[in-house]
Amino acid sequence: MSCWSCQRETGAAEKCASCGALQPPELTADHFRVLGLPRRFDVDLKAAEARFRELSREIHPDRFATADPRARKFSMQRTVQLNEAWKILKDPIRRAEYLLSLDGWEVGAESGASRPGAGGARERLPVPPVLLGEVLELREELADARAAGDDARVQKLARDVRSRADQAMAKVAAGFATAGSSAERAAALEPVAHELIGIRYWKRFLDEVAVHDEAEEARRDDASKGSARA
Amino acid sequence: MPEALFQISEPGESRVKAPCPPGMTRAIGIDLGTTNSLVASVKDGRPVALVDDDGEAIVPSVVHYAADGATIVGRIARDQLAPRFPRDTIASAKRFVGRGPSDAEAQRKLTPYQFAPAAPGDPVVRFQVAGGRTVTPVEVSAEILRALKERAEAQLGEPLFGAVITVPAYFDDGQRQATRDAGRIAGLEVLRLLNEPTAAALAYGLDKAAQGKDAQGLFAVFDLGGGTFDISILALEKGVFEVKATGGDSALGGDDFDRAIAGHFLQELGLPEDASGDRALARRVLDAARAAKEALTENAATSITIARPDGRETTVSLTRTAMEALVRPVLARCTGPVRRALRDAGLSAAELDGVILVGGATRMPLVRQFVHEQFGREPLSDIDPDQVVALGAAVQADVLTGGTGHGDVVLLDVVPLSLGLEMMGGVVERLIHRNSTIPCGATQTFTTYADNQTGFDLHVVQGERELVDDCRSLARFKLGGVPPMPAGMARLDVTFVVDADGILRVSAREETTGLESSVSVKPTYGLTDEEVERMLLDSYAHAEDDVQLRQLAEQRVEAERILQAARAAMAASPELLADDDRTRIDAAIEKLQVAKAGQDHGAIRVAIEGLDVASKDFAGRRMNRALEEGLRGRTVGAVEAEVEKSEAAGDLASRLERAGHAGHSHR
Repeated sequence: MSCWSCQRETGAAEKCASCGALQPPELTADHFRVLGLPRRFDVDLKAAEARFRELSREIHPDRFATADPRARKFSMQRTVQLNEAWKILKDPIRRAEYLLSLDGWEVGAESGASRPGAGGARERLPVPPVLLGEVLELREELADARAAGDDARVQKLARDVRSRADQAMAKVAAGFATAGSSAERAAALEPVAHELIGIRYWKRFLDEVAVHDEAEEARRDDASKGSARA
Repeated sequence: MPEALFQISEPGESRVKAPCPPGMTRAIGIDLGTTNSLVASVKDGRPVALVDDDGEAIVPSVVHYAADGATIVGRIARDQLAPRFPRDTIASAKRFVGRGPSDAEAQRKLTPYQFAPAAPGDPVVRFQVAGGRTVTPVEVSAEILRALKERAEAQLGEPLFGAVITVPAYFDDGQRQATRDAGRIAGLEVLRLLNEPTAAALAYGLDKAAQGKDAQGLFAVFDLGGGTFDISILALEKGVFEVKATGGDSALGGDDFDRAIAGHFLQELGLPEDASGDRALARRVLDAARAAKEALTENAATSITIARPDGRETTVSLTRTAMEALVRPVLARCTGPVRRALRDAGLSAAELDGVILVGGATRMPLVRQFVHEQFGREPLSDIDPDQVVALGAAVQADVLTGGTGHGDVVLLDVVPLSLGLEMMGGVVERLIHRNSTIPCGATQTFTTYADNQTGFDLHVVQGERELVDDCRSLARFKLGGVPPMPAGMARLDVTFVVDADGILRVSAREETTGLESSVSVKPTYGLTDEEVERMLLDSYAHAEDDVQLRQLAEQRVEAERILQAARAAMAASPELLADDDRTRIDAAIEKLQVAKAGQDHGAIRVAIEGLDVASKDFAGRRMNRALEEGLRGRTVGAVEAEVEKSEAAGDLASRLERAGHAGHSHR
């Protein structure tokens, strides 16, 4: 690659080794590559965050506000790319789904998951009926507890679901660790996809608990104000 | 977009301003507040507020419109003219910026202002002032900005290069656009809109660093101003100021305390709570409330004399305890946003390293006590809550213009409210979630709902609610010309890009035809381009020569660019030129050359548009041919490249996003 600004060889760095001009981003780079991380589930988040900040400092549009229009454009593109990469990788669920997507999988709660099958067809991996049954039951319990104004029961359910989500996440991590790059990778990823379908449901459940918590806190505030006035 | 076609010769060129010309290195930071405004600049590596002859840094955000057409900004307007001419003296214009006549703010009963009757479909609030004029909040803001600009020019003794203007972090896209428009109308080159709490954190962090103290870690900025409330959680580390989450209420501030107190006074006086529409009384009571509130910061009790409509004066007294009882319910509205911001940042209050107070309202003992309760710690108060935002803005202006004083500082800010599109059934599909680090982008693919649907109506909204009706409508645009196909066959890629100002740009592209459309989002609640243009022209009537000259220089540069591009396009595709085309375009080129040699930038602008119109058909044919060639069997990639070149080249990240899209197919 030669530099757009000085026409000399640039190498792979974001800035030209000769003239320092910011180089165009590699548009097809995956998120791991953007952050200079190995493509695997296990990520050192502290180091990755430090890298994110360091790169931001290098390429942020603010640093190019008075630069050549092309450098400005590259800075904008690179920063959009970097922010997207960090958003996905810092979150274990998104990171896991993204890693699966790099292998051609798709994970969505309602539709289960799918992977590329023979002859370009997609092979579906439905939501396990047992999981659906559990989810339905837990959601009913949550609705009952909320209707009864039983915050303690809501919190107990939340703890239960949180621990299910944590266990599932541990299995995801283990699954990725053992999948390797072997021919059996596709088979090894199947349980990972299953766990991720479950995690989506657990996450939605916990989001609902968060809505409950917010309402509960507001209610308590009102109550304490009322008693202060009285 | 015919003009864009001419840019084929220089695809990489964006339409942003040329680098700062020599001699014009002065950049300023402006805190455009609801109640007060300030301007600051970096001198010898440190930000300082610019003061007037009396040593006063604060300019009250009050504008008086006199019957003879003159405008008066600041202290005199607030102290002397507002009581006498309440209708013609606008304070707190910021609360109306980017809002519509049906917004709650314009519907208040207790108001000193007279709103012009809203024409059907007019999305903008207008104040009726002296001399039969109506002014928009954007114009009022522009007057304040102009006063600050004049102060800066007088003190810095040289023409300004540009300004960073701060906005509440919780301002939506419409309010941001309106603030940007105000800057333009004031003749300022707006380098950046910066979020107020972020500006405060920047000034605070750098100030600590300059004192050799450590200001690293996690901080909350609690910013309660005259009209807006922001809460931001930031991580400060080695020159990187990273906003983790932000929240707030862009219609909550010290003004609302005044209203609560004013309501109490009216009750004491035995007068109706809307002051029976008596504007002068409304102004007097609101001023009395503010004075009482300020007196009670120091004292436990105060009394204040208010003139009734019949001229009789009544003295009312108020204790701090009674005032706090009035204010507390208003203040309690801060609780939800604080909690949500902490939750979004994934933090508890105990994990913070400090809480920074910003905004005049944080002077009140009750507010400090409230912050203490919320965060379980004593807030940091070793900074001037009035100045810190302007100082931070000055630092950022210095950074953006290549100032060397603050070397490695970079701000990573976020989108305050989610951005999305209306789907069938009036639900919102979010493309960009709140608290995403900017600049950022997202692409999502949509398809047709009905058979033979030939277009898409795109409705862009902002907010956290699930239904479109509960969100803020930002813009609508159409992409037509889709060939009839069965439902679900057309594929529309919609790309949202939020730039470093937090302003959204949307582009859409239909896959099978390569049709494109792109808009800088013009807020539904904003001024039209024509209005801004007219205000710009109006403002030139009063503006100084340097503004004229810069405008002229800019238009000449633009004219030259268009001329070159037009000639290049004609040379490249002579076979597409009909005879009358050539005559028309040549005549337009001639006109533009004449205008360019003159002194009237407005005339140049008109001539540029003339050339644009004259070459429209030709440009259309070039576009069609590019498409036809594609359909005749060139690779899809080549067509895309062609069309891409033809879109506004400044459309920065759409290509990046499109490329990235393939990798996101799991969505």
